[in-house]
Amino acid sequence: MPTGYDEIESFLRDEVSSLTGLPAEAVTADTVLVGNGRVVDSADLVMLLLAAEDFSRDQLGAHFDWASDSAMSEARSVLRSVRSLATHLSQLAPAP
Amino acid sequence: MATRKPLPPRDESAPDVVVVTGASRGLGRFCAERLHEAGYRVVGLGRTVVTDAPFEMRETDVSDPESIAAAMKDLRRDPNVYALINAAGIASMNLVVTTPPETVRRIVETNLLGTVFCCQQLAPALIKRGSGRIINFSTLGVPLAIKGEAIYIASKAGVEGFTRVFARELAPYGITVNAIAPGPIDTALIAKVPRDKVDAVVKQQIIQRQGTPQDVWNIVSMLLSAESAMVSGQTLHVGGV
Repeated sequence: MPTGYDEIESFLRDEVSSLTGLPAEAVTADTVLVGNGRVVDSADLVMLLLAAEDFSRDQLGAHFDWASDSAMSEARSVLRSVRSLATHLSQLAPAP
Repeated sequence: MATRKPLPPRDESAPDVVVVTGASRGLGRFCAERLHEAGYRVVGLGRTVVTDAPFEMRETDVSDPESIAAAMKDLRRDPNVYALINAAGIASMNLVVTTPPETVRRIVETNLLGTVFCCQQLAPALIKRGSGRIINFSTLGVPLAIKGEAIYIASKAGVEGFTRVFARELAPYGITVNAIAPGPIDTALIAKVPRDKVDAVVKQQIIQRQGTPQDVWNIVSMLLSAESAMVSGQTLHVGGV
């Protein structure tokens, strides 16, 4: 059964909780990852992105290119929050 | 709930992997051969895949991120990857006002952007490992400001700045990033440089002897060693300046 948005969001929330030490219930879809109010520092963000890259490949069969222009663009960043990142991952096309 | 697949454990019995760009000739080739002899598994990247290399070669254009991504696809997740040596480089001696824009672009894309792109691709493997070495190549020409090498030197000055900052970014993961800045080493890169020009540069070095590929390898070897764990963000000038 394909991995859906809910599972992806759950995975990301668990990762953020694990990286930051925040209680699991304190990490939500609205938890901010970059910019004002972020809960992860730059080192944790890299680890989160590495985990998301592995998850995308292993669970979604897709390639998450987190250095792409669209992923890293300040205005359109998919890294704004857990929700935006989960949404982006859920919309990735399967790798050829 | 979806679970995160654990990273493949590092195979302690397998040799550490060192990726060398510009491995088909020059200093890259020399270092790649020494690494191979030292027992590392060497993956050489180059625009030309030489068939007489004792190590694995992969055809790669370092100025093209997609080419690098394709060449490093498996390495990005390989827990045995230990180091990246960015030795790919091109030069063109010319006055600034007589250097064609396309030549300017090629030098910057290969020397500076190539270094950046390769670091971007391979750093995740080192971050996952929690240790590693990145060695970039600059030139003694940066501090010496050699006339006729402005574009080359500009690209290498960029490499030095990149090295200093990237070293800070990777320090939390136990990864060191340094640059080696050789003077005129006897390789194809300076084959067309007149002897008197070479001698003039050597005279400005603290050690007034033309360096050899072995001199460069000695520094590479030192930086790869565990004992160099507290050396990062530095540019080491071969011969001194």
